[in-house]
Amino acid sequence: MPSVDQQPPHGKAYWRSLDELADTPAFREFLHREFPAGAADLIDSGQRRQFLKIMGASLALAGLGLGGCRRWPKEKITPFAHRPPGRVPGLPLHYATSMELGGVASGLLVTSYDGRPIKVEGNPEHPTSRGATDALAQASVLGLYDPDRSRNLMTVAGGQRTTSSWRAFDEWAGKEFQRLADANAKGAGLAVLSEATSSPSVNDLKRRLLARLPRATWHEYEPINNDHELAGSTGVFGSPHRTHYAFERAKIIVSLDSDFLHIHPAAVKHTRDFAATRRADDPQRTMSRLYVFEPGYSLTGANADHRFPVRGADVGIVLGLIAKRLMGELRPSSSIAQQRFEQTTPADVGVEQAAFDRMIEDLDSHRGESLVVAGRRQPAEVHALTHAINEHLGNFGSTVSFSTLPDAQAHVASITDLVNNMAAGAVETLVMLGGNPVYDAPADLEFAHHLGRVPTSIHLSLYDDETSKRSTWHLPRAHYLESWSDARAFDGTLGVVQPIIAPLFGGRTPIELLATISADRLSEGQAIVRRTFASLGRFPDVDRSWKRTLHEGFLAASPSARQPKIRRKGLGDFVGDIWQRWPGPESEGFELAFAPDASVYDGRFANNGWLQELPDPLTKLTWDNAVLMSPRAARELGVTTGDMVTLTHQGRSVKAAVCVMPGQHARSVTLALGYGRRDIGVIAQDAGFDFYPLRTTDAMGFALGAVIEPTGATYELAQTQDHHALDTISGRGAQERLPSIFREATRQEYLDKPGFANDHHHTGAHVVHRLSLWDENTVQGAQYRWGMSIDLNACTGCSACMVACQAENNIPIVGKDQVKRGRELHWIRVDRYFKGNDPERPEAIALQPVPCMMCENAPCEQVCPVAATTHDADGLNVMIYNRCIGTRYCSNNCPYKVRRFNYFDYHKREPVREGGALHVTADYYTRPQTDTHPLKQMQFNPEVTVRSRGVMEKCTYCIQRISAAKITAKNAWMKLSDDQKREDPRVTIPDGSLTTACAQACPAGAIVFGDLGDPSSSVAALRGHERSYEMLEELNTKPRTTYLAKLRNPIPDLIASPNPRTPDDHTGA
Amino acid sequence: MGAYHFVFPRWSNALLPTIAVAGAVVPLYVVAMVAYGFSPLTTDVGYQPIQPVDYSHKLHAGELGIDCRYCHNTVEYANKAAIPPTQTCFNCHTQIHKDSPKLLPLWESYETGLPVEWIRVHDLPDFAYFSHAAHVSRGVSCVECHGRIDKMEVVYQHETLSMGWCLSCHRDPHPHLRDPALVTDLAWGFDFSDEVRRAHGEAFNHKNFDSIVPSTDCSTCHR
Repeated sequence: MPSVDQQPPHGKAYWRSLDELADTPAFREFLHREFPAGAADLIDSGQRRQFLKIMGASLALAGLGLGGCRRWPKEKITPFAHRPPGRVPGLPLHYATSMELGGVASGLLVTSYDGRPIKVEGNPEHPTSRGATDALAQASVLGLYDPDRSRNLMTVAGGQRTTSSWRAFDEWAGKEFQRLADANAKGAGLAVLSEATSSPSVNDLKRRLLARLPRATWHEYEPINNDHELAGSTGVFGSPHRTHYAFERAKIIVSLDSDFLHIHPAAVKHTRDFAATRRADDPQRTMSRLYVFEPGYSLTGANADHRFPVRGADVGIVLGLIAKRLMGELRPSSSIAQQRFEQTTPADVGVEQAAFDRMIEDLDSHRGESLVVAGRRQPAEVHALTHAINEHLGNFGSTVSFSTLPDAQAHVASITDLVNNMAAGAVETLVMLGGNPVYDAPADLEFAHHLGRVPTSIHLSLYDDETSKRSTWHLPRAHYLESWSDARAFDGTLGVVQPIIAPLFGGRTPIELLATISADRLSEGQAIVRRTFASLGRFPDVDRSWKRTLHEGFLAASPSARQPKIRRKGLGDFVGDIWQRWPGPESEGFELAFAPDASVYDGRFANNGWLQELPDPLTKLTWDNAVLMSPRAARELGVTTGDMVTLTHQGRSVKAAVCVMPGQHARSVTLALGYGRRDIGVIAQDAGFDFYPLRTTDAMGFALGAVIEPTGATYELAQTQDHHALDTISGRGAQERLPSIFREATRQEYLDKPGFANDHHHTGAHVVHRLSLWDENTVQGAQYRWGMSIDLNACTGCSACMVACQAENNIPIVGKDQVKRGRELHWIRVDRYFKGNDPERPEAIALQPVPCMMCENAPCEQVCPVAATTHDADGLNVMIYNRCIGTRYCSNNCPYKVRRFNYFDYHKREPVREGGALHVTADYYTRPQTDTHPLKQMQFNPEVTVRSRGVMEKCTYCIQRISAAKITAKNAWMKLSDDQKREDPRVTIPDGSLTTACAQACPAGAIVFGDLGDPSSSVAALRGHERSYEMLEELNTKPRTTYLAKLRNPIPDLIASPNPRTPDDHTGA
Repeated sequence: MGAYHFVFPRWSNALLPTIAVAGAVVPLYVVAMVAYGFSPLTTDVGYQPIQPVDYSHKLHAGELGIDCRYCHNTVEYANKAAIPPTQTCFNCHTQIHKDSPKLLPLWESYETGLPVEWIRVHDLPDFAYFSHAAHVSRGVSCVECHGRIDKMEVVYQHETLSMGWCLSCHRDPHPHLRDPALVTDLAWGFDFSDEVRRAHGEAFNHKNFDSIVPSTDCSTCHR
């Protein structure tokens, strides 16, 4: 992207990449092609001849072999010898369970098909998930079937790592822990390092272990932890507290570097509650207003009404200035701090004074219904002062509530203690229950080095990973879908984790391992969890409550009515810290801002192909992370996307590729953690860059004063941002069309003009002529008219829908090399456009999920030479794989670019890893054909065809679910008595009983699916909504998928309308 | 004089005999391919693999008159008419013929818990989806697709199970419909004339408000 430096030739309203903004020749070339250059090539040009030869030969061979065979291989049917009660072969069952991540459980409902868990959904009854999920939970089922998961115990014998067995381990452990429990030792020399966990069973076993071995030590560490939040709340409340937000009651929200809508343990609940405040369906068009201060774009920032790029180190100053205005009596004591307190203005941290003043007014006038939220990266003083401001604004008890966390440990302090003990030789036996500290512990602790000096180290882990390889024992861990456990949700609701399948590789859970080392009377996970359960409440009938809890998946917690009071005494010090510790408006070098990754989190999901291929919601990067840098900083350093740089901080350095990201603060770079894993599996191998070596105990959130230098090398990044572009005319054309593709207005405009979404002056859309070139499909008389409505106002862009679709519809991953060629197969994509003319500070981001529009006048159908895509009686545009011959004409003719082509048999012949990325290599067709890996086959949804090479595919509106619902409804109707049939002669599927995978997963409830023919259905109501519009309606495709236009709620007279067009420059159709 | 005369190159002399040979061979080839495509070998009609257990449907379903649903008990509410678990056999065979050598593989399964490996006879392609429940509950008898199982010593494939065969019924269902109470009565209707048979189906459909309108959309079976 050499031309980024140039000013855009003409003001652009929306753009998806800097290339597009600058309208580079490369971008034009890209748009004009149906698929990116080389997408249609096999591998390279020399390969075509070779390919034809082989194809010819294989055809001839197939002809020879036809004679005596059946058409397809013999299949066996293996019924149960004793069928378990309640099990019907071929009928899916649903089990409630929980997935714990970072000590917080989400309530799930897992679909099991013939004993195989195949799909994860949110538990509709669970108070936090309410049936929705995030992308990580959706993808977790693939982790269960990961062929790279550890299958063997490993131990070190004679300096060599060798495989071992649970029998050998149990025998060894029995003696070892008995020795440690001896009267003299009492556990001295034993240390346990656990992940963050809210499991009552683990806590119970911890208590029992420490009772038996009182001199043992217990440590906890997660790289993504809440240390700062806990320290802040301890400082002002006297004990660690967890903050709960009621976004549904908040009218003014100020986020201080908090990504509460995305990477937050309660993000699913927050998204639902936040979306509820954005619908503006009441006559006053009430909407919340969100202000975000952050160094680089988060999804929360992308959903803000006003977003201010500020350095991470300046966020505290923003808070200090808010406090100064709202609670002036709080003054720092030291002289430097006082001076700064007096003299600093919002402009010093890059915030416009006028906007700041209006925000203060907003906060001041919304007492009790405002909310200030601090991000977990921010230091303790920011959290403390945030509590004080929320209390001052009367938000306690209204939008903010608290629960205590009596057992909370400070993770960084805890692991530092452990490492100090290890260094002092005080740790003889270290038991690590999950986690991967060699990879993710703070770099200055040199965990790997000290681990090498611990005589006995035991690591329980899903993968034989970095830590396992340096431990004397590696034990395979059971996946949560194979485990008995328990965990608490963010609000304290107890969830039971029950296994849906027996451990595939004989793994054990932390609970079972703890039972072994504490020589517990019970050894089975189920028995231990059951014992803990019985101790948790006064149940009149424990057995009944237990069964009920297993069935429901959770036991509701009694609401905590705790209302802590701010202790003024501690607060003054925190205010002082905020001003004292500020490096000043200008400081040397760059700020490094560490963030958990949207796909791999802290690295634990690095070997999950669905998540690796899921484009980051904002950068649209797949298979990698990168140094996210502002265009200005990149220009100053003379680098651009794909250039390698060296990041150096306190003598530690990392080489990584740059990705230029608009909206990033010029002096701050965002580094997503969790990549650069080695030797754990084929997916994670060499994907991205490991930034943990830069993260130290004193810089877990931000590191200041880093030096960035270009190395001169380049690296290929696979970004999907320009793929599947709707606008094939870049430049002026795109500028004209995008406001009509993504329609939006401010709240004020909506008040003035409720029908803005279909007002051509507002959107710049072409006038619609309902004239057709051909006989239109008549779908009159159809019993169902399936349709979908996507509320752009509710959608946050979290991309959970993409993974849900992938899991439901057997969509393969294609690998980085194929993504670069534009061959990714996601049926639903989330388009991301930047808005405004300044790449340093885009006005806003537009996020738009695009599934198949199910056009009634489908252009794809008209060009298929073999009628492989046709309409069915319900008006769905269906794709018939067995008819498709792969001409790709349909994709060419699809104005929405939602069709995907299987260039290869991705399920059968998997891309191989070569040169740091998954590639379809030159030997693709000469390699012996393998069957789909039997483990991966287990995840397939048997109700959906597994597509092979040469076939087009696209969103089906989850037609397998529609079929199942229809058959169920019809069968039930047939069983009615004659009288009942007479009363109700029409078979109906109740609204809401059938939904698509994307709609089911959506935490915001943005996607609604149903029967448009049923006037009482919610989708029919939304279609009649005044914000409802059809994308590219001027093409007269009559899409069944429609959108509700986006609303923003900026301060009315401060920021110009987000609509770049004025009626004057509108030229009509 | 200098006029350019186009002449066929020498090698083109060979074209004529080539075309003549092709003219003779290609029709033969087409006929052979069509015949091959429709032959029972391809459609698998009559496919009768040897099963691991010497089980006679003729004896159980025919002579003893055990209802199909005694063993295939999921047929009315699931897509699959599941092969029964070994347990089902021993509902009776712990009492009757318990020492028969024919039961040995079943005893083995019963004791070890390992499944009996039956060989699939009616095998639809993986891209075609079929629901037993949807058909049985609407009065399509077992016999319509499986033939007179009650007369088969060893089960074989009776119909082509081709797409055209499926569609023939979806386009004109009435000769194949009956009261769902009679679906497992495989002998019912065999003595009827075509008109009477059709009339039975029409009457049944009419009683159900003509709600049985089988779809011929691709998406009915392919997803």
